[in-house]
Amino acid sequence: MSGVIRNRKAYLVFLLPGLLFYLFAVFYPIIDSVRISFMKWGGIGPMKFIGLANYTKLFTDHVFYKSFFNNLVYLVIVVGMQLLIGLLFAVLLTYMKKHVSLVKTLYYVPCIITTVAVGQMFRSMYATEPMGLFNIILDSVGLESLARSWLADINTVLAAVSIPEGWRFTGMYMVIYYAALISLDPQVSEAAEIDGANAWQTLWKIKLPMIRPVIILSLTMCITGALRGFDVPFLLTNGGPGNESELLSTYMYKQAFSSNQFGYGSAIAVFIIVESILAVFILRMITRNREAI
Amino acid sequence: MMTNDGYAARKMVKKVIFAIVILFFLLIQIYPVLWVFMASIKPTVELSSTPFSLPANPTFENYISVIREGNIWRYMWNSIKVTGGSLILIMIFSSTLGFALSKFRCRLNSKLYSFLTFGIMIPVQITLIPLFIFYSRMGILNTTFSLILPQVGFAIPLSTMMFVNFFTFVPDELIEAATIDGCTPYSIFTKIMLPLAKNTFVTIASMYSILIWNDFIFANTFISRNSAKTVAMGLKDYVGAFGNVDWGLTFAAIAISILPPMIVYFALNKQVTAGMTIGATKG
Repeated sequence: MSGVIRNRKAYLVFLLPGLLFYLFAVFYPIIDSVRISFMKWGGIGPMKFIGLANYTKLFTDHVFYKSFFNNLVYLVIVVGMQLLIGLLFAVLLTYMKKHVSLVKTLYYVPCIITTVAVGQMFRSMYATEPMGLFNIILDSVGLESLARSWLADINTVLAAVSIPEGWRFTGMYMVIYYAALISLDPQVSEAAEIDGANAWQTLWKIKLPMIRPVIILSLTMCITGALRGFDVPFLLTNGGPGNESELLSTYMYKQAFSSNQFGYGSAIAVFIIVESILAVFILRMITRNREAI
Repeated sequence: MMTNDGYAARKMVKKVIFAIVILFFLLIQIYPVLWVFMASIKPTVELSSTPFSLPANPTFENYISVIREGNIWRYMWNSIKVTGGSLILIMIFSSTLGFALSKFRCRLNSKLYSFLTFGIMIPVQITLIPLFIFYSRMGILNTTFSLILPQVGFAIPLSTMMFVNFFTFVPDELIEAATIDGCTPYSIFTKIMLPLAKNTFVTIASMYSILIWNDFIFANTFISRNSAKTVAMGLKDYVGAFGNVDWGLTFAAIAISILPPMIVYFALNKQVTAGMTIGATKG
């Protein structure tokens, strides 16, 4: 990547303002997080260097394990919803002839609404007092015994805080997959149909494999997005009841800003960043190996 | 053998089922949003007795209370300052970076580019603690700047990538010709590159205006004073007499606060979706 202009001074004039801003706003905090993660600091007075103590504490902290496990469940639900429903709806849309762009436009709306509003909407839908939408639906189909306060019940709370996040971005993944499916050369699937493949086979054997690169790229984004999930669980339950819906980033947030354990909070933050980078790396390895075969 | 009528009927049934499935998915996706608007024009009594039916006696009392109470305008003004300030800086930094990385000859360019786009993978949570400590030492918590800094920093990777993608398509011959005609790099940038990149500016502006307007995590961390709150945080404020959420007011406030992003989205939805989907697939 290289252009034609040779003018060192002008180059620096264009490069440096943005680069320095980026270094200060993004890179300095990363390095500083690592530094603070070796400290003990309660918010006032000088920081005290304690070496790896925050990290050893991390690996003996059962709430940390709980949050990590919860985060995996959250990831499975969120990624599952966004990928499967997004893909299913994109496929359906390719069979639609009229009003495609209207449906696409409306389907995308949840992505542009602030998480606070999403949180408030779902809070009222999950409620029992007054009856929320979920309980009313259960009631109307004769399953009122299943009605409950979804955010207070320890068996349902984790799923209840995951679903809004999955719901929110389904439309975005639908748009991505739809664009990929539409851009496929129609001749390939026409040829398959002439050879006797039905619509189902064309979809599974031809169309989906052809958009595999797009699926993998969106999967990367989806997974790293879910690993850093924060807003909806924080707003709906703040990790509760107990730590039943605690995720890594809500735990990090509470440690730092509620318990004033900035060092320990930073250790969790460093863990989140390492975990995200590792996830991307592993995903790339898996997909590269499969491509080699 | 199937008659023509039977074939047509089967086709019709298929069409209807298909339409129902599409409508069902669409309903799941937009019903909660419609419902907010519906609930916001319901009197409080109806909201608790028949929360999910159409409003029987539509009223604007919730809107009037929210507007009369007045905080919403201050929250909106704060959000406008943060969003506007961030957009200006994002535009300046990413267009100049994009120009430097795509049109100047320098061996470091591709390394710098990977370094910048690496930022797309970084979770924003990592900055909360260091920036909070930095801001409180400098005494600049609760300022517009405290929100602009991370917003711009985290927008730079993707928007720089978009500018690089676009500028690479501008032929080098055009720049060589302009240089021979006596253009400096600065005038090439302002007279040739910027006018050409109009669409990239619109894409980035429409996408980030929505994302920044909607931000919760930075505002919740760096803002505690009421006078500095942004709209997203303000939505948690509408609490009734017994300390419970006053849903009528909350829904009216939500409806008002999601209106600006909705307007941007419906006016420029091609650009908004294009920007966001690039973000999700080029990481």
